[in-house]
Amino acid sequence: MRRIQGATIAALAGLILAWGCAGPEGSGPSLSGLTGLVPLPGAAQPAAAIVTKAGAKAVDASRPITPSEEYYIGRAVCARILAKYPLSQDQALTLYVNEVGRTVARKSNRPDPYRGYHFGVLETSEPNAFACPGGIILVTKGLVRKCADEDELAAVLAHEVAHIVNQDGINSISRARWSEVLTTAGAEAARQYGGVAGNLVTLFESSIDDVFKTIVVNGYSRGAEEAADREAISILTRAGYNPAALASLLGRMGSGGGGIMRTHPPTADRLAKVKSQSAAAQPGKMEEVRTKRFKEQKI
Amino acid sequence: MRSIRGWRTGLGAAALAAALLLGVGLVWAQTLKVSQSNQQFYPEPNFASNPVGPAPVGAHVKVLETKGDWYRVEYQGKKAWLHRQAVPESPVFVPGQVGGGPVKQVKSDEVALAGKGFTAEVESGYRQKNPGLNYAQVDQIEAFRVDPGRLQSFIKEGGLNP
Repeated sequence: MRRIQGATIAALAGLILAWGCAGPEGSGPSLSGLTGLVPLPGAAQPAAAIVTKAGAKAVDASRPITPSEEYYIGRAVCARILAKYPLSQDQALTLYVNEVGRTVARKSNRPDPYRGYHFGVLETSEPNAFACPGGIILVTKGLVRKCADEDELAAVLAHEVAHIVNQDGINSISRARWSEVLTTAGAEAARQYGGVAGNLVTLFESSIDDVFKTIVVNGYSRGAEEAADREAISILTRAGYNPAALASLLGRMGSGGGGIMRTHPPTADRLAKVKSQSAAAQPGKMEEVRTKRFKEQKI
Repeated sequence: MRSIRGWRTGLGAAALAAALLLGVGLVWAQTLKVSQSNQQFYPEPNFASNPVGPAPVGAHVKVLETKGDWYRVEYQGKKAWLHRQAVPESPVFVPGQVGGGPVKQVKSDEVALAGKGFTAEVESGYRQKNPGLNYAQVDQIEAFRVDPGRLQSFIKEGGLNP
C-alpha cells in the first residue's frame, strides 16, 4: 500500500505541475476574461515559481481563478447575504425578475457563465442589489419599488450583470491570497490526497470575506462602477430596453445613506457620465406594454 | 486503502489507458449514483444548453461515454449528459499510472483538489464550519427555472430583441 500511495502522490504532483500553467478547464492565452478563465489583478505576466509550504516542489502560481471556482465563491457570498436578508418566496415576482434579468444577461459580453445566471429577490425594504461572482444576482424588494418601470429594473439588473462580466467581485481577492490558495492546494494534495484540506477552507473563508466586504459593505471602486454603467448601457441597447433608464433611476436615487447609496453611490459625476452615454437614446418599442406588466407586479 | 481498486485485467487497463492518453471518450458499463442536489441532465456536454430534466439525488445512471468533465449517461431509458459534479465520488484515471500493471484510481475530488483551489469539497468544509449560512436558499435560487419558450414570449411581447 505504501508503494501505491507513493506512486499516486507522485502522479498528483505531476498533475499539479502540469495544471499549474494551464488549468484543467482550458489553456492557452485566449482563455481568459470573457470567454473562460478569470484573470486576477496583475496576473497577466508569468508568475515566478514559488515554493510550496511542504518545501518540496515549485509550482507556477499564475493560474487564474477558473469559472467553477468563481461559481463556488459566488455561492458562498450569496449564502452570506441570505443569512442577512431573507429570500422572497413570491414566485410571481421571482419569475418576473428572472425574465427581465435573463433578457439582459443574454445580451451581455458573458452570456453563459459556468452555471448560468440566476436572479433572486430579497425580502427587505432597503434598496440594494448584489452581483455574486459566477452569476447569482440578488435585488431587494426595496430597490424594485424604487424603479418606475421595467426598463429601470432592467437597468439595475444589467448593471449587476456587468459586475459579473467584469469580475469585479472576484477581483477583490488579492493576488497574494490567490497565490497562497494555489500553494496550499498543491501542498495539501501532494501530502494527503483525500478529504478536505483545512487550510484551503480557511483560505476560502478569507476570500469570501474579501468579496463580501466589497460587494456588501464597502462597494466597488469608482472605476468599476463607471465601467459597469457603460456595459449596462450597451446591454440595455442590445436587448432593446431604453438605455436612458439607468440615468433616470440614478437621478431619483439621491445620495447618502446606506444600502445601494454606499455600495453603488449615484454621485453627480457618475450621473452626468451615464446621461451623456445614453443621450441619444430613444425609448424602445412597446415600452407601454413593459410598463404595464411591471405595474402588475405586487411588490 | 481509499478508493484504490485494480481493474480486473491488465488488457482492459491498457486499452483504457491508451484511450485516456489519446483523449478519446471512454465507453464502459459503469453505473454512477447522483449524490449532489439540484443537478440537471443536459442535451450537450456544456452548461449553456438548456437542461432536459432534473437528475435527482440517488438516481443511478449508466455511463455511456465521457468527455472532459461530462458523462453521457442513460437514465430511465433516456440519454443525456451529466456533469461530474453530480457524482463527485466517481472514479477518474490518473495520468502517469498507466505504464504497466493495473490502472490506479483516485476520487475525482482528489484530482480536482490538485488542480483547483476551490471545489465542492472545499465548499462542504466551509459549510460545516459556518452552519448559519443559508445555502438552502442558494440552491433554491439556482433551481429556479424559466421555460425557454416562456422567455421568448416575454421578449417578444415587450418588443425586445430576441
